[in-house]
Amino acid sequence: MMKERPNSFVIAEVGKCIGCKACELACFAVHNRDNGVAAAAGTVTMPVIPRLQVIRTDSFTMPVQCRHCENAPCAGVCPVQAIRQKDGVITIDEERCIGCKACAMICPFGAISLDKVYSSGEEHKQPTLRERQKDGLERKTRVIAYKCDLCKDITYTGNEASGEIGPAGAATGGNGRGLTEGGGGLVPACVSVCPEQALKLVDPGLGVSRSRTAAGLNSLRSLEI
Amino acid sequence: MGNKVLTICPYCGSGCHMNLLVEDGKVVGAEPANGRTNEGNLCLKGHYGWDFLNDPQILTSRLRKPMIRKEGVLREVSWEEAIQFTAQKLTAIKEKYGPDAIMGTGSARGPGNEANYVMQKFMRAVIGTNNIDHCARVCHGPSVAGLTYSLGDGAMSNSIPEIEDTDLLFIFGYNAAVTHPIVARRIVKAKQKGATIIVSDPRKTESARIADTWLPLKGGTNMALVNAFGHVLIEEELYDKDYVSNYVEGFADYKENVKKYTPEYAESITGVKAGDIRKVMRQYATSNKAMILYGMGVCQFAQAVDVVKGLASLALLTGNFGRPSVGIGPVRGQNNVQGSCDMGALPNVYPGYQSVTDSKIRKKFEKAWGVALPDKIGYRLTEIPHLVLKEDKVKAYYIFGEDPVQSDPNAAEVRETLEKMEFVIVQDIFMNKTALHADVILPATSWGEHEGVYSSADRGFQRIRKAVDPPGDVKPDWQIISEIATAMGYPMSYRNTEEIWDEMRALCPSFEGASYKKMEEQGGVQWPCPTEDHPGTPYLYEGNRFSTANGKGRLFACEWRAPLEQPDEEYPLTLSTVREVGHYSVRTMTGNCRALSQLSDEPGNIQISPVDASSLGLEDGQLVRIISRRGRVMARAQVSDRVKKGATYMTYHFWIGACNELTGDALDPVSKTPEYKYCAIRLEKIPDQLRAEQQVREQYESIRKQMKAGAGQA
Repeated sequence: MMKERPNSFVIAEVGKCIGCKACELACFAVHNRDNGVAAAAGTVTMPVIPRLQVIRTDSFTMPVQCRHCENAPCAGVCPVQAIRQKDGVITIDEERCIGCKACAMICPFGAISLDKVYSSGEEHKQPTLRERQKDGLERKTRVIAYKCDLCKDITYTGNEASGEIGPAGAATGGNGRGLTEGGGGLVPACVSVCPEQALKLVDPGLGVSRSRTAAGLNSLRSLEI
Repeated sequence: MGNKVLTICPYCGSGCHMNLLVEDGKVVGAEPANGRTNEGNLCLKGHYGWDFLNDPQILTSRLRKPMIRKEGVLREVSWEEAIQFTAQKLTAIKEKYGPDAIMGTGSARGPGNEANYVMQKFMRAVIGTNNIDHCARVCHGPSVAGLTYSLGDGAMSNSIPEIEDTDLLFIFGYNAAVTHPIVARRIVKAKQKGATIIVSDPRKTESARIADTWLPLKGGTNMALVNAFGHVLIEEELYDKDYVSNYVEGFADYKENVKKYTPEYAESITGVKAGDIRKVMRQYATSNKAMILYGMGVCQFAQAVDVVKGLASLALLTGNFGRPSVGIGPVRGQNNVQGSCDMGALPNVYPGYQSVTDSKIRKKFEKAWGVALPDKIGYRLTEIPHLVLKEDKVKAYYIFGEDPVQSDPNAAEVRETLEKMEFVIVQDIFMNKTALHADVILPATSWGEHEGVYSSADRGFQRIRKAVDPPGDVKPDWQIISEIATAMGYPMSYRNTEEIWDEMRALCPSFEGASYKKMEEQGGVQWPCPTEDHPGTPYLYEGNRFSTANGKGRLFACEWRAPLEQPDEEYPLTLSTVREVGHYSVRTMTGNCRALSQLSDEPGNIQISPVDASSLGLEDGQLVRIISRRGRVMARAQVSDRVKKGATYMTYHFWIGACNELTGDALDPVSKTPEYKYCAIRLEKIPDQLRAEQQVREQYESIRKQMKAGAGQA
């Protein structure tokens, strides 16, 4: 039997990130090919909704995104079981999500955000719930939780050959999903696009790695314990 | 199936190689290529900045037909009519007022070096004036003037790839993370390879964040700090005595001039601790390889040329020239601002930095171009408002690939200037704010639609290539200018850009060996490249021989002068104009890119400290009114821990939050570069935010309407 591996995740090195947001755009582009971001002409009508957010404080700059926790607290609080473990990724079933915000509140990293749903570049209206607008009652736009899916949960129904707003590799990405060539294998779009090589896909093994042990010993030594 | 076209990115001076992916005659994507400076990387503008080529009409629309203003309205005309009309008007103005009544610009953006060569030749040989200048004047003009004085060449003495191998990197007023992400990559790598990083900047930039020492000086005090650096080098005898006596001149005067600038005195002006000033100079002087990089935080002050010379003096005093990974780097902002300087789109030099006042050089150009040439230095771009409004000297303006109403200081004055002129020609790819004041509009091909050469910030000539056919009835810039010249009785005809390039390099000793063929073979050629068998020059001053008249580097120091407009009770805050990473220049290109414009759009932001925000009752993201003595605009408050109390920052890309409605027209006395980095403003809270949001939407729609965006969408 194959040894089970922990989930991978993407993380940034604070010392390398310059806060340029290339990762945010790459994430947006690769997840919204069906929303007109795939076409070479015409206007992108939806706002940029990235699944990772570049955070800038006084002392650090880096994108924050899902760790794909092994015991994902977000899944534990989801009342409709929309959050599941699937092929080494913690995913949100966007159809099932009711926008209750519980996952966003419990996530210790702030890696989940709520935003509107778009289809074919237009706001996706709900069938029943209405809200009062300037011109009377209108169907309310659907809002759901978004987070990193390691580019593994991307659907794209359009014609690949119509081109798209890069990263170019993703247009013809070998697996038909969002993974692109880079860093010696297939990696999420944010990793392949980063000009500073600040992002990396961490693929941890179970147990404690030799390098981790060595690093631990080293830090103890520097503390002169 | 599609094909790939190798070219150079049209944003910033990093000079990144990239492939445009073309299908059915349309660009559908971009991917990084392996260039000397970018090594297979692109920033977000490179990745997502190509789709303005498909004219999505988000902010403005592509110009597709020539236009002439008739009864106050711009009407489409034939090329024949536009060329004849332009030629006749220019000829009439030249006859009535003389050639010096006509001003022309080069373009540091898409057109390329060949178009700039043809433009300056047109102004000099056809009009008969040296009145040619371009946006380097509002940018690295002080570097060209200052470094030419100190070292002999107004360019980076080093190369971008060398940055990562230096031992100490001294970054002064330069925010690489937003200006040149691909240069920032080298700074990050330098840090990882163990270099000491010192950053002098009022704001905590990304470089400051990773720096070993950050010197948060008060805005507008550069010269005091640079003088204090020199003072420490001399007082503590840290300077390289042998180097100075062999290769440098002006030491006695320099020593005298920096004498009073003790670190303690400088601390009282700059706010930087005297101990830090001493510490960083000890580190700088004792490093084996130390490199200075600087940017607009040095150049966009009314005391700019002096500071450039002062920084070059530090490198001279410590012998940091003539080797790899040392020297001084003014990292040029726009993609081809180095190139438009190289091509002589400047009022004092011909192509190749050859002086218009040197009679021997002038004779060479007279012989080549077959006409007598003017010997008087021409007007600078930033002097034009004064020359028009106060002295009534300039009557016609040929604006080529620039948008001064958006990019130059005191926009109201620029508009008044254009309105007063008898004849304004705008040659561009997009409708813009300046074109609203044009008498003739000449539509040109864009990057991606023509061939040519760009010069990267580190003196690297690199080929740009045509990927797609242009839309509508447009022509390459060099062809438009040639047709006007011909119609004015000076026949100009070139078959292609290579023919122009070869004419140019035959006249420029330092570019002579940089053929198209060599660029193809090597991927690029860094000047100087004097002969066919010369590979080009990664770093200048081998053997410590400078390009000055006697071959020696020249030291310089002088008194610090405070910025002209100081905050007071009525205007208590200072404003500095900056850039943001996802947009470029006046935003006609990136504002018409779908993803980039969605990432960051009108009205733009004003960065403000948490202290000032709370005392005004402002919250992050709220719209706020910004008022100076010259104008008022609205923008979104961006409350940032990295901004000091009393200071604010706005990016110059936005049209609603147009910071140049506010900036002043104080100029450096030598380079005539404006003081974009310092003027006084006040902020006003807007109680009715909903109404203000509505006003922003209405203003955006009205701009789009003026720019004909959305009218005939492709």
